[in-house]
Amino acid sequence: MAKAKVQKTTPKVEPEDTAKSSRGDKTPRSPKEPKPGPRPPEPAPGLQAKSWVWGTLTSIRLTVFLLLILAALAVIGTVIPQDQPLGQYIRQYGEGLGMFLYRSGLTSMYYSPWFVGPIGLLALNISACLVHGLPRAIRRSFRRLTPEAAAALPERGHRYWAGGTDPHPVVAAALKEEWGRPHRETFQGQEIYFWEQGRFRPLGPYLVHLSLLLILAGGLIGKFWGVEGRLALVENEQADAFVLPSRTEQPLGFQVRLDKFQVDFYGQGAAPKEFRSDLTVFQTGKEPEQAVCRVNDPVTFGKYTLYQSSYGAQPTGPVVLQVKKGEHAQTVEVPMRKMVELPGGQVQVMAMQVQGDLEGFGPAVQLAYRSGPGHPQGVWVLKDHPEKTEKVGPYQISVVSLPFQWYSVFQVKHDPGVWWVYAGFILLLPGFYLAFFRVPQRWAVTLEPTPRGWKGRLLGASPRSRDLFLARQDRLLELLKKGTEQ
Amino acid sequence: MTGLLLGWVMLIYLAVGLLYLAGGLWDSARLQRGAKWLFWSGLGLHTFALLARWWESYHIALGHTPVSGWSGTLTLIVHQAPLSNFYESLIFFAWAIPFIALVSFRRYLQGYLGTVVAILACVILAYASLGGVDSRIKPLMPALKSNWLLIHVVTCFLGYAAFTVGFGTALLYLKQSRRPTASLPPVSTLDHLIYQATIIGFLFLTLGILTGAVWAESAWGRYWSWDPKETWSLITWFVYATLLHARLVKGWQGRRIAWLAVLGFGAVLFTYFGVSFLLTGLHSYM
Repeated sequence: MAKAKVQKTTPKVEPEDTAKSSRGDKTPRSPKEPKPGPRPPEPAPGLQAKSWVWGTLTSIRLTVFLLLILAALAVIGTVIPQDQPLGQYIRQYGEGLGMFLYRSGLTSMYYSPWFVGPIGLLALNISACLVHGLPRAIRRSFRRLTPEAAAALPERGHRYWAGGTDPHPVVAAALKEEWGRPHRETFQGQEIYFWEQGRFRPLGPYLVHLSLLLILAGGLIGKFWGVEGRLALVENEQADAFVLPSRTEQPLGFQVRLDKFQVDFYGQGAAPKEFRSDLTVFQTGKEPEQAVCRVNDPVTFGKYTLYQSSYGAQPTGPVVLQVKKGEHAQTVEVPMRKMVELPGGQVQVMAMQVQGDLEGFGPAVQLAYRSGPGHPQGVWVLKDHPEKTEKVGPYQISVVSLPFQWYSVFQVKHDPGVWWVYAGFILLLPGFYLAFFRVPQRWAVTLEPTPRGWKGRLLGASPRSRDLFLARQDRLLELLKKGTEQ
Repeated sequence: MTGLLLGWVMLIYLAVGLLYLAGGLWDSARLQRGAKWLFWSGLGLHTFALLARWWESYHIALGHTPVSGWSGTLTLIVHQAPLSNFYESLIFFAWAIPFIALVSFRRYLQGYLGTVVAILACVILAYASLGGVDSRIKPLMPALKSNWLLIHVVTCFLGYAAFTVGFGTALLYLKQSRRPTASLPPVSTLDHLIYQATIIGFLFLTLGILTGAVWAESAWGRYWSWDPKETWSLITWFVYATLLHARLVKGWQGRRIAWLAVLGFGAVLFTYFGVSFLLTGLHSYM
């Protein structure tokens, strides 16, 4: 019998909970109209009809539209290479289209009005919805379930107990099992037990949207008040300023010295294991401080944070090579990027670049060489592993001296917006929890004496989760069966 | 060793798919229960294979990075989670799909729905094992040595997996709304399941993006760089945010939601595979 009843009494949304259900965290809705609409009239009396602009700004249709537009624009932004020089686009797309893309801002999509516009509009949309709905959500969240409201909940089933039995222990036990601790009061001649959960759920979507605004605000703050640049230091070099993207210098507010740079490999010929810069920082009025900066392990001094970003070896003099042809050996000085003729005149070489540690094999110099006509070829000459160097024409080449200094490049940054962004991240968590995992539900059991004994009624509503509600309803009706008349 | 285990897991998922199919065709509760039991067993074996690879990876790492103290050991264990290359991410993805489906769909995971989920997991495992993906355990590059690696990859792939499950459900929805059959749940149930999968996916994708941002902030000094992977994850996020909001708009419920779930899954696929193979960026090692 309970089963048939259950099927009929699915939780219909009743007026008071309609507002609460607010499936549209954004869509304003009249309490009498359960279906969400884009711009229904404001129910509260005394308020004027909202203007079209306000209606549009608070509409969820606008949100859907903007989200789809933003997705499409972002796709375009990943298809067109971003932030390349004009020449690149002209080569890739031809004169006309390349020029158009560059001029229109589509090649710097995420900072162009194409993208910033819809984002701004979305921020406006979110703000409007917050202004529109948050106060009501707060009021609703702080409205406790009263005996009056509980007694007005829709009925989900009933039970009769014969005159001799006292149903209170049965009811109390059943409710304790399902609800924990319900309230119990006497109201209009009947005993009423009531319980609610998920009262703060309406706040969830607003917290989520508030945190999105915080994140966007953090991005803006970073854009306007953040500083970002690069600092390149040779070993033992000391600096008090770094270079902004505009190529102007920005003072650090302290002195920093690169004592040592190291790169470690997982063995010879293997992948890099660690990049590490040992720094000493001198701040006025403070002892010099040692710090180690690694990838994933930045260091912060004063206002700025330093991130290990890149490294290299800088030659400090000409490379000296030993050139061996048969039994005849000779030393040759090879300055960087200058063509040098090897003895015999058959081969010309040029030193292209120096590596402080080539894949764990130690210092190395890359030579470009040409023997006869044709394109120059490249070869790495390893200082500590002469046996690994290929022959260059008829010559066996090894390194006599390879003077270089390590340098390390740091990303230097100060971004006051990060904390806003992180605050947004943190606020998202309770927002998601309330919005997605709290099931608002209100329940009550009333007991009233009848001429033949007692009548118990189960009342309840849950606007959002039909499944959970029905399962609980079944369980409660089953538990309340004890001692009833069949 | 894990390769062999995963081969078995793949076969089990295939068998699960067939069992669910048979259970749906003949409307047999016993076959359905058997399929579910086998699904859980396969997932258990899969979990064991993941842990075995983790163990192996950790012991290889101990060889070149000796550690001392329990905090050093713990850090190394966290860093060596088998989530650091394409192969390992596929294996975890294939694990997460049945995990999400079994945990969040529970009794609804039956018949064709069960078949779709099991076959999706099976296909991904097959691709990882037979698609020529490099399955060697490699030492970690400096950029990946972070406690954020574990949480970032786990949240992202749980999100992807939930979206995959939602995609399978959406396909069935589209089929069911055209030509209804009794062996599929009614469209209202399927719609509810799409929504549920989307919520879980959206939650995890959001967490994945957040943890990625915090990690990027500490690794590169920038929480958002508009790198193609980041941008595509945001595109995916936009699509699913659209889905969640579109449910509240008149005229968007039903088939349009299912199509959005399909579109969103397309974005997931591109975020995962397309970006790695077609575009270059900071995530190019994945």
